[in-house]
Amino acid sequence: MNILKLVIKNITRRRGRFIFTLLGITIGMAAFVALLSLGGNMRAEVTRQAHAMGASLIVTPKNWCAYDQISILTGNALPESLQLEVYEAVAAIEGITAVPYLTQKTAVQNNPVTVTGILPAEMKEFMSWEVAKGDYFSSVDERAIVLGYGIAERFELDLKDSIRIQGEEFPIKAILAQTGSNDDVSIFLPLAVVQEVFEVEGYISYIAAQVADLSKLEFYEAAIIEVANVSVTSDRQLLSAVLSMLGSVNMTLQLIAGVALIAAAFGIINTMMTAIYERRREIGILRAIGAKGSSIFKIFVLESGLYGLLGGLLGVVLGLAVSALVAPLIAESSFNDLLKGAQIEVSLDPGIIALSIIFALVISVASGLYPAWKASRLTPVEAISYE
Amino acid sequence: MRTEGLTKTYDKSSVATHALRGVSLEIPQGAFCCITGPSGHGKSTLLHLLGTLDKPTEGSVFIDGKNTSELNEGELATLRAEKIGFVFQFFNLLQSLTAVENIEVAMMFGKRSPKEQRAQAEKLLDMVGLLDKAHAKPSELSGGQQQRVSIARALANNPSILLMDEPTGNLDSESGEEVMSHIFKIHRMGKTVVIVTHNDELAQKAEILLEIYDGRLKSC
Repeated sequence: MNILKLVIKNITRRRGRFIFTLLGITIGMAAFVALLSLGGNMRAEVTRQAHAMGASLIVTPKNWCAYDQISILTGNALPESLQLEVYEAVAAIEGITAVPYLTQKTAVQNNPVTVTGILPAEMKEFMSWEVAKGDYFSSVDERAIVLGYGIAERFELDLKDSIRIQGEEFPIKAILAQTGSNDDVSIFLPLAVVQEVFEVEGYISYIAAQVADLSKLEFYEAAIIEVANVSVTSDRQLLSAVLSMLGSVNMTLQLIAGVALIAAAFGIINTMMTAIYERRREIGILRAIGAKGSSIFKIFVLESGLYGLLGGLLGVVLGLAVSALVAPLIAESSFNDLLKGAQIEVSLDPGIIALSIIFALVISVASGLYPAWKASRLTPVEAISYE
Repeated sequence: MRTEGLTKTYDKSSVATHALRGVSLEIPQGAFCCITGPSGHGKSTLLHLLGTLDKPTEGSVFIDGKNTSELNEGELATLRAEKIGFVFQFFNLLQSLTAVENIEVAMMFGKRSPKEQRAQAEKLLDMVGLLDKAHAKPSELSGGQQQRVSIARALANNPSILLMDEPTGNLDSESGEEVMSHIFKIHRMGKTVVIVTHNDELAQKAEILLEIYDGRLKSC
């Protein structure tokens, strides 16, 4: 017989209470792990999308807020706020290659989809697009569609199909090869056609630009501002802005999970306190047969620690299972702009797993400290005389 | 084992309760001593103080010449583990453990290996005639059998002193006699046995009979 064996026997004797206390910490941990895992994947996905954007500088109207900037990263529709002349002025700067974007909204099979107006040749070169099926635009005002890979997959669209935009049927002319960026989830039409169909002639939404020398980003920023009254953001600034917003969202979610864990911790305290009142006599017997106060303390801390270890392990498994189930739903959700079309996968990050189990262990051991201290302070006679 | 002016006063309520008032006694090594007296007059309090389960308000308990008042909590726990065995009226076995495990628990705080613990526990169960019940839980044992397991547990660390609080008080006469026969056997092993009892038959066999009345030693 040793203390660990005694603790296991004690815990498993009261099966119902054991299971419910364990469930408390397991669910708290599962929520924590699921949110941590999803949050980490969202970060990775946003970073990947930003890198796939292929631009070093983004030119936007001066009054755009952070949400608009996120929409650039997610490929969402944005207001037509820049005049086409601004693009021409920016594109004329030496050392800058620029493409205009005009983003509008339409629906495919009742799902919102972004329509992007582009300059066909410039865009193909700028993004290094490859065509998987069909033939790419042959003129700047062709009334046809080039489809992102993801949209074709999701809505099972092919070259023979057409899409109705603003009451007009547009045939699908080509399907792009997978890019891994938001280009996969957009419908492309020549800029002039989108301007005409949506009645925004002469306007674009924003401009993406590549520079000849990345070490002189600030110089190019200044050059752009000089020729037009616009705001210029580097892709790194954009990414860090989005990541910091994502960080706040993650923090909030983790705080909620933290509250669940604290509730679970109080569950452990409650269970342990009840156990001490119920087992006063038992404590007295142990003291009578030679257990020191420190041994009693060890028994109760070990007992609560065991809840943490088991709850942590089960919580990690459950949390990863939940995030594996939920991730595809989040990616498909039309409400989730950040991850629209993203390939979110649940990663088995050993760091998160180890950290979560240690966290559960620390919380449960900490929860057991007070009850264990109370138990160890019982004098043998008051424990043994307890009826 | 001896006491000097042992006093215990409980003053948790507004009125102080004097459980023991200056008890001095001496129990020689290997003696068979019974403590009798009416309920609530301080018998169990005296036993708890002798066993260092409680601290006296005044006076001292000496075990093997050592003043227990001078020992700290850890030293007292070691003293209890090594020199004193307890048997209680309500057996006080741990319900989650089997008979053999209940005996092993008493050795858990010492230096015996699990194998040695098991061998000693089985030897003691055999001595009290319950080896065949080694793996039974307390709930599967009769009162007499539980008390015999608790006697075996008290002997686990081979203590020189056994303190028993009404060991037959909760048993029918047949089980009580069986338990008594084991107590006599233990005494014959050379151990000091101190029993708080209402059992006249047991008290008559005592080499030393102490009567506690109103917290005082009535006769010796």
